[in-house]
Amino acid sequence: MSFTSAKVRDCAARDVRGSRLVSGAGPVLEVSELVVGYGGRAVVRLPALNLSAAEGLLLTGPSGSGKTSLLLAISGMMQPMAGLIGILGVDPATLKPAERDRFRGLNIGFVFQNLNLIAGLTALENVLIGAFAAGVPQDRERATALLAEMGLAAFAGRRAEALSRGQAQRVALARAMLLGPKLILADEPTASLDDQNCEVVGALLARAMSETGAALLVATHDRRLRERFARSVSVEGMS
Amino acid sequence: MSLVRLVWAFIRRRPGNFLFHVLTLSLGASVVLGLVLLERAVETRFSRDLAGVDLVIGAKGSPMQVILSALLEVDTPTGNIPLSAAEHFAQHPLVKFAVPVSLGDNVRGVRIVGTRPAYGELYGAHLAQGAWWTRPMEAVLGADAARRLGLRPGDSFIGEHGLTAGGERHAKTPYHVVGVLAATASVIDELVLTDISSVWEVHSHKNDPDEPENPGPPQVTALLVKYRSAMGAIILPPEVRAMPDLQPAVPAVEVARLVVMLGVGARALEWIGIVLLLLSAGGFLVALISAVSERRQELALLRAMGAHPGLLLRLVTLEGVVLGLAGGVLGVVLSRILLWGIATAGRESGMRLAPPPLGTLELLAVGLAMALGLLAALPPALRARFMDPGRELA
Repeated sequence: MSFTSAKVRDCAARDVRGSRLVSGAGPVLEVSELVVGYGGRAVVRLPALNLSAAEGLLLTGPSGSGKTSLLLAISGMMQPMAGLIGILGVDPATLKPAERDRFRGLNIGFVFQNLNLIAGLTALENVLIGAFAAGVPQDRERATALLAEMGLAAFAGRRAEALSRGQAQRVALARAMLLGPKLILADEPTASLDDQNCEVVGALLARAMSETGAALLVATHDRRLRERFARSVSVEGMS
Repeated sequence: MSLVRLVWAFIRRRPGNFLFHVLTLSLGASVVLGLVLLERAVETRFSRDLAGVDLVIGAKGSPMQVILSALLEVDTPTGNIPLSAAEHFAQHPLVKFAVPVSLGDNVRGVRIVGTRPAYGELYGAHLAQGAWWTRPMEAVLGADAARRLGLRPGDSFIGEHGLTAGGERHAKTPYHVVGVLAATASVIDELVLTDISSVWEVHSHKNDPDEPENPGPPQVTALLVKYRSAMGAIILPPEVRAMPDLQPAVPAVEVARLVVMLGVGARALEWIGIVLLLLSAGGFLVALISAVSERRQELALLRAMGAHPGLLLRLVTLEGVVLGLAGGVLGVVLSRILLWGIATAGRESGMRLAPPPLGTLELLAVGLAMALGLLAALPPALRARFMDPGRELA
């Protein structure tokens, strides 16, 4: 399998200027023989993975097995040691750092394990910051609507540090969905959530996938999410 | 969402740190700025008090003391000179303007100066109330002196011997206030003026029966002279020096000496201010580096969401500039408070300062503080620009 190393502007994603291009018919995400490591030492290997639009997949494995590293490598935030990654036909590794960041901002929604909401900003501002960072117009109506979908309409003006963990998780999800990404990567989205919040977040992820057509890759060791996904890949660390 | 909003969120999260760094920067800025302003205020005051006088003729002694006592009114005179000698030089062809001054008494610490109404011309003084004196024992008060003594035209007061309060009272020869001058922001504001013959009259009366009669010819403390031409500067001082008991004192020279003497201390303080400023810049740098370290996750998050590295650069430098702006503005405020304190203390000791109005110097100081903030922000900003988001978020 091979991927094009062409510049982003030639691919079927949004180009680096933010224009939406016609999506190709191929998979949203393709991974082949991916090896990720630190300091020259391989820590995790993913032989193959294909993910189409509106398709979800669980990346399971115990803590420390390298699931987060795989997501970071797929998103282009970490350089893989070996293997190929294709997102909408583009290998992020072939892009210059600034282009890679912009490509990620426009095409990938990332839900971090630590949420990383910015304290001092409101929930609404934390959603809008995705557009601000990517340098595209900030659609307040869409951000407000997303928060409403997450059941957070009343909390839009509340500062991040005043939100509960479950509320913050939903804000992080809304932020990831703001720009209508083709691929959503979620790292332990239900970790430390109670059953009720886990159910809510799981449902929202599933809805994001079905309603927006985004491909969804969720790294988790939370068994409560398994019933929502038809496919899963187990990851085992190499050390 | 904007850069400013994001910077504000960062600042608001740790307001104590922000205030500490602003205060540190402002202290350095205020000391440097305060001293420069003080120097200007002193120069302005000297220039007003010297009133274009080219030469002061006084009794033998320190020329600096002659200037300080007869012109700036902050020291005791070196002695008196004969009126005849003063009149001789007043009529000299190279002299355009001359006015005698005679010191020796005060009223509640305010100096009484025996002179001619022409003394007011030196300072461009004009009457706010009443009229100039027309006979001995009539007095015209400077604006501050009138306020301080609570006197107005029609009132009377008793002079005391000496230049400071608490001397022997000349109860037999009361003064009558006939006029009050408008403020001029110069030394005349703090004086009580009277005719020169009043001083002779007061001192011709024996307060003590054992005191000998005043037998000598009339004297004055000094003669303030303006030259008709530059030749005066060459001819007159040697002529004065050749006279027994007379001392020429050139205000420009003596004040320049005084400024140099004061300047040593001022320069030492300026250096302290500059060191403070550099220290605060260093502290600023450490603070910004630590601030960037603290929020490297947020900065990495922005990169993860597609932010161009240049955006992070702008974000961190803007924070530095905002700190610099706040520090600079507070520095200007503190420098004004410092100057006000010095001016108040100076007024108590008879040295009135006129702080200059807010102007380009303050704008320059704020601009420099902002530039310092920018400079201090550059290393951490570059660090943020080249950060690896994957490593920070892993």
